[in-house]
Amino acid sequence: MSVSIPWTEKYRPRRLIEVVGNKKAITELITWLKSWEKGTPKKKAVLLYGPPGTGKTTLVHVIASEFEYELIELNASDIRRSAELDRIITRAISIGSLFGRRGRIIFFDEIDGMSGTEDRGGLSKIAEIIGISRVPIIMAANDPWDPKFRTLRDMSLLIRLNRLNRNEIMRVLSRICMREGIKADPAALRLIAEFSEGDLRSAINDLQAIAQGRKMLTVEDVKGVLSRRNREHDAFTVLKLLFSAKTAEQAKAILSQSSLDYDMLFQWIHENLPYQYRDPEELWQAYEALAKADIYFGRIKRTQNWSLLSYAIDMMTAGVAIARKHPYHFVKYRFPQRILLLSRTREARRLRELVCERIAKQIHVSKRYASVEMIPLLKVIFCSNPKIGAKIAKALELNEDMINIITGDRRITKEILKITSQLEREERRESLKSSRRRPSSPLFM
Amino acid sequence: MSEILWAEKYRPKTLDEIIDQEDVVRRLKQFVRERNVPHLLFAGPPGTGKTTAALALARDLYGRNWRNSVLELNASDERGIQTIRERVKEYARTVSLSEIPFKLIILDEADNMTSDAQQALRRIMELYTATARFCLIANYPSKIIEPIQSRCAFFRFRPLNKEDVFSRLRYIAEKEEVKVTEDGLEAIWEVAAGDMRRAINTLQAAAALGTVTAETVFKAVGMAKPKEITEMLSLALKGDFIGARERLRRLMISYGLSGVDIVRQIHREIFGTRSGLNLPEDIKVELADLVGEIDYRIVEGADDEIQLSAFLAKLVLIGKRMRTGRTK
Repeated sequence: MSVSIPWTEKYRPRRLIEVVGNKKAITELITWLKSWEKGTPKKKAVLLYGPPGTGKTTLVHVIASEFEYELIELNASDIRRSAELDRIITRAISIGSLFGRRGRIIFFDEIDGMSGTEDRGGLSKIAEIIGISRVPIIMAANDPWDPKFRTLRDMSLLIRLNRLNRNEIMRVLSRICMREGIKADPAALRLIAEFSEGDLRSAINDLQAIAQGRKMLTVEDVKGVLSRRNREHDAFTVLKLLFSAKTAEQAKAILSQSSLDYDMLFQWIHENLPYQYRDPEELWQAYEALAKADIYFGRIKRTQNWSLLSYAIDMMTAGVAIARKHPYHFVKYRFPQRILLLSRTREARRLRELVCERIAKQIHVSKRYASVEMIPLLKVIFCSNPKIGAKIAKALELNEDMINIITGDRRITKEILKITSQLEREERRESLKSSRRRPSSPLFM
Repeated sequence: MSEILWAEKYRPKTLDEIIDQEDVVRRLKQFVRERNVPHLLFAGPPGTGKTTAALALARDLYGRNWRNSVLELNASDERGIQTIRERVKEYARTVSLSEIPFKLIILDEADNMTSDAQQALRRIMELYTATARFCLIANYPSKIIEPIQSRCAFFRFRPLNKEDVFSRLRYIAEKEEVKVTEDGLEAIWEVAAGDMRRAINTLQAAAALGTVTAETVFKAVGMAKPKEITEMLSLALKGDFIGARERLRRLMISYGLSGVDIVRQIHREIFGTRSGLNLPEDIKVELADLVGEIDYRIVEGADDEIQLSAFLAKLVLIGKRMRTGRTK
């Protein structure tokens, strides 16, 4: 498939009339913005909140362009840089530009991404900017009720964006299908819309994943793909429950509410621990618990004594949950990268295994020895002396991909290949010559 | 053909060519003269000539077509009971075609066989003694079950001494027209000690960089070591757990290192004078204790990535402690 821009970008609304749903919230936002024409309103900031994929970012962009405001957009990492902040503050206190546009809007996107402890400075900086600002400020968040937002909440007009309903999402999906030339069964689109649970972004992503490059879209096409997202959705919910659990009992009960099996949940926890627990003390304590759970799993595997399972689950749920010392904060959970990595590197690992097997056989060592001791050594030789490397590669009958496993560097691999093919040409010439004289053995090095 | 790797090219081919391990060689030659061999157990540290002696014995015994009468297996790669049952049994039961009435089965790294596989092997050794003799090779003979040990003639291989390693390295260097300095040899000894295979491998790697000096030896050794180990440790100490875990995954998945390999390299790194981690003495000891615990857990059957992640989390904590100046 060719490189393609995400459909969520390609079909992001540019005009207000293209925005679906949330009419009431949109009107509220426009009213507030218009009130600036009559002087600075009581609330200088809006906190736009709602679940992911309800169009917070899109709405701010569209409104700014519709009403001809210049948008200054910042995310959590910008706010941590103080130089950046100073620039904003200067802009914030200056009055709107004189060149056609009405002025500026400062937009802080995804403020959930700022953690309460580390970025406390950042959040209070935002409050400070709101205090001195003479231009409208909009913030976007998933969960505005987090205690760390209290000050900001008090200073802002809260506007809620709701999940989109099924028909609204279907309307967007079928418009995209039309533009992409896909004949879609309405039932298939309905299925995608239902699975998205009001998250338009995920619905569009799903549609692209399933339908891009096709002419037709059926219910069957959709079913296979969506079951996975459903499990992921479940994992998000379960992790959130686990990491915000207040008691050991609450944490323990979580596994029974999940359709994930315990070893999959284990991988999810492992992946997301460092994102959830930023304090080294918390992180270490949680990993201690997880490592103990893992020891139990090892014992179960060895002894087949499944009565140990409940202890393992205690450690990975309650043990991990009680490590928390700071209030829960929102985290965008990630799919376990280990699983992705293993499937993505399958081909490379198979090749490496082949290389090891070949070396092992040639020099009478185990494949493990070949992997741990010989490949690093060959890498040294290949990279620092491609000429000798080429001879070794030839002797071991390594192809391009295998040489690359050793060098880890395409450029050196190419160089070695050039030398090997040169060696082969010379050899052929030699053997032609020597066939007239007496045969000689090839001389290495 | 494979003669391009020096450790293989300069491996002694016959028992006569083996200069060390005099006792072992004398006894093995006796077997060749008698044209009869008992089951053998070769034990000793890596690189002391166990595999070389087994292959040389096979050549001396069977002559040019020795490969037809020898099965060579590496037990760490095929350690399960299945291989023992199928491949070994199949090979052991068929009659030898050479003048020698039995075949030789070389089981390298036999101490890595599971105990089930060893039990199966014991039965096969009994049943097929008439048609097959075994040569088991092990680093740690105590990991071979008692009944097998008692069926074998035991041979202990000792680490090579410095003079023998040096003279072999000088001989190879001369043949390969490579210049070697005295401090180069000393550096190789520091890296490999009495492990001849590692010594020769190190010589060849350093020679790829030019004259073999202490500098080229340590440079080659440094290049061979994955840089991710040091990176992982220093990232964790700086507080970047996610970066450290990413290195860990690279080591395990791209480099194919096992958890135990990584644990041992970490251990070397903690105490290594060349590592550049600059840890306070008390922290070194604390970490060594921790690494030992992780090693034990992994060998016991725990998951390497989880256990090593827990270790990294502890490092993050220690790093924070070091920065804030608290020692405990």
